[in-house]
Amino acid sequence: MKSRLLLRPFLAALSVISLTGAISAAELTLYTQRHYEFDEKLHQLFTERTGIKVVVVKAAAEELMTRLQSEGDRTPADLFLTADGAGLARAKQAGLLQPLPDPAIAAKVEPHLKDEAHHWVGLTMRARVIYYSPDRVKAGELSTYEALAEPQWRARVVARSSSNAYNQSLLASLIAANGPEKAQAWATAVRANMARPPQGSDRDQIRAVASGLADVALANTYYLGLLATSEDAKDREAAAKVKVFYPNQDGRGTHINISGAGIVKASKKAEQASQFLAFLLSDEVQGMIAENTFEYPVTKTAKRSELQQSWGEFKADALPFSTLGEKNAEAVRLFDASGWE
Amino acid sequence: MPTASTGDRPSLPLTARDGSRRFRPDRWGALVTVGGAVLSLPLVAVLLRAGGESPAWESLVGNLLGGYIATTVGLVVLVVALALPLGVLPAWLVSTCDFPGRRLLSWMLVLPLALPTYVAAFVFYRLPEAAIPALVRIRTEHGADAFLTAEFALRFGLLALMLAAVLYPYLYLAARSAFSRQCRSQIESARLLGDGIAGAFFRVALPAARPALVAGGAFVAMEVANDYGAVHFFGVTTLSAGIFRTWFGSGDLVAALRLAALMMATMLVLLALERLLRGRAQYLTGSQATPPARRRLPAGKATLAVLVCLVPLAIGFLYPVGCLAHWAWLHVSAEGGFALPAGLRPVPALGLAAATTLFATVFAALVAYAARLRQTLPRRAAGGLLALGYAIPGAVVAVGVLSVTGFIDRLHLPLLPLIGGTLPALAFAYAARYFAIPLKLAEAGLEQIGRPVEEASRVLGAPPGRTFLAISLPLLRGPLIAAAILLFVDLIKELPLTLILRPAGFETLATTAFSLASEARLQACAVPSLLVIAAGVVPLFLLEKRLSPSRRHD
Repeated sequence: MKSRLLLRPFLAALSVISLTGAISAAELTLYTQRHYEFDEKLHQLFTERTGIKVVVVKAAAEELMTRLQSEGDRTPADLFLTADGAGLARAKQAGLLQPLPDPAIAAKVEPHLKDEAHHWVGLTMRARVIYYSPDRVKAGELSTYEALAEPQWRARVVARSSSNAYNQSLLASLIAANGPEKAQAWATAVRANMARPPQGSDRDQIRAVASGLADVALANTYYLGLLATSEDAKDREAAAKVKVFYPNQDGRGTHINISGAGIVKASKKAEQASQFLAFLLSDEVQGMIAENTFEYPVTKTAKRSELQQSWGEFKADALPFSTLGEKNAEAVRLFDASGWE
Repeated sequence: MPTASTGDRPSLPLTARDGSRRFRPDRWGALVTVGGAVLSLPLVAVLLRAGGESPAWESLVGNLLGGYIATTVGLVVLVVALALPLGVLPAWLVSTCDFPGRRLLSWMLVLPLALPTYVAAFVFYRLPEAAIPALVRIRTEHGADAFLTAEFALRFGLLALMLAAVLYPYLYLAARSAFSRQCRSQIESARLLGDGIAGAFFRVALPAARPALVAGGAFVAMEVANDYGAVHFFGVTTLSAGIFRTWFGSGDLVAALRLAALMMATMLVLLALERLLRGRAQYLTGSQATPPARRRLPAGKATLAVLVCLVPLAIGFLYPVGCLAHWAWLHVSAEGGFALPAGLRPVPALGLAAATTLFATVFAALVAYAARLRQTLPRRAAGGLLALGYAIPGAVVAVGVLSVTGFIDRLHLPLLPLIGGTLPALAFAYAARYFAIPLKLAEAGLEQIGRPVEEASRVLGAPPGRTFLAISLPLLRGPLIAAAILLFVDLIKELPLTLILRPAGFETLATTAFSLASEARLQACAVPSLLVIAAGVVPLFLLEKRLSPSRRHD
């Protein structure tokens, strides 16, 4: 171990000065926005099975896109992973991705969770739901995202900042469904209904409902799983005090988002990259993700975890991510105008 | 004001205005020009790209810019106002009084420098949760408006207090060094004239230390303005937060870079002001200053003094480190250890920080010396421009570096290896971002040396190069070592540049801590956070050995 530690800087220096800059063929480079420790375990498993090493650069999606653009055809990146479908749509639009060499690997993925030209494919799915306190809210009082704008929710709602991609994509879906004027009015009214100014993470919104500060919260599904299995006892208590409600079930369905990936246009390892994606889309790995990060599988064949099953089945809004990507900047503008920080 | 300083600066023969020197090839100038130009490329790239097309800019200026600026100014003013007493009072006490624990406290008070603001934010941002029952009561008893005011005051105030408690050491170090250099005679005269210890402090010592405080305060202000992690956690939308919102949300990098350019312009104005104020300092501190003798405090006052020193230390270091240690303990005992992530490369990361520190410090000494050698506008402007990387968020500097390395890489020059995404490119980015630290300390150090020594050398016929190597550099050793240590500690904590520019698979302690914190795994994240802090505490201990005024006078 010690000798390897000493060897690494030496090897790093070698690779820096090597004229070709080429990395060994049995290595895939990921630019990823995903911050899950569990991903590392999946990478190790992939290496064990295929002998292909996985190295990553983790940063924000836009930062990585800026890096991809600067590096151009000389990028070491083979795959680009985001935690937001609109980001993938933007990367495709910027010409940073290439189509899958073998679209069949994504055959089992539901059609609205992948690019029609196979420039990217969803790997995990998450739903943006309403969390509520069963003590203070009856499930019958909840119906749609739109209804959160009604005055009965004054000072009872919490949500995070509009700088967050999940909120932007939710508002983009409301723009697509109801038009920009109504979407802005919705954002203004929900902001007015907030129990406190937007702050913190999705977890903090769930905690706010559990603590009694608010009665309903907008947040993604998997956070409840993460809180329920947290190493912190207070988080586990908080998770027990809230329930999940899937809005808009009688209409277009609950807003969902994906974490997904595309093969970088300049990558010369499209085959290995495709092999990696096929691995992540296998029923086995999809099931492991459902058990560990509590994100939903993107294939119908993979099994949801027991905890996910306890939250119930739901109908998802099938709006294409390319539309969400196109409307993202408009969503930010409407948020700005609505006063939702 | 400027007359006071120019009167103190005879410009012959050091500035070489005599005709015989004028047409000699100026090696200092060439070195500084070429090196400075290369180092300023990322910032120039940011400014150039800010000139591009920006769909979001107009609505940004119309709707948001005013709010961003007001929030930023409000936060900066509040943090500096809080950091002033937290830094200056202990500095005054440890330099002029004697009390039990003084030497230990004198050292420990610099420790918050080892604590990255984003780590402090993990610890502090969940504190308001404890106040939720009280807030809910305010809402039911006094209505929503009172609740919103209380909630905002709590969050904004806690953020400001936390930043002040982590950043006050810049003021503490500046103030302590100023107080220890002040003339005994001035302070003693004040006391003899019946001013008392408090009067001596407010009427003599504090005004005389003002330039040092302005310099320390400028670092605090820049750190607050360029911070992203902490303000993001607390939901406070400063200009820095606005940059990321514009970039990530609207996908409008140009508008984001324009906001950064605005921050740089503000910084240029602040630096010019600081220069004016510092110019006058020369006039006030005599070269034969004798530090005042430390007065032994009676038991009651000594207890009070210890308390005054303990408050900033407790908020800025002991409490957060205590929390982290507790979480780390919980994590390690639950998991039976801590598994270092696969890509963690602490040794090359430290090596990279050390190499960058060495290069940047030496080059900063050269730039500062060249600017002093001949105070031409280009050289002074170079000094100003090179310091600006510190005024903007690291991610923006990263965009500039990517523009530069990407441009070169895409030329496909034969024999030239890939530059982007390598450790040397990361080192270059570090230097471009943090050059202000060694540069400003080298400038301040040169001012302290006093021109007569160098002038004597030049009069005796030594050329500028030899004067620099034989006279100025040895005398600058202290400030340069201090600069190197401060820079090194900042590089250990560095996050945004490393995140964006690192080679694939390269993790530092800071990126490891950040990654776990973004998963909200606070207990697991406590382990690498403590390691980052420990890696900073050791050099800070060395810094104290070097800087402490007590070293010479005890």
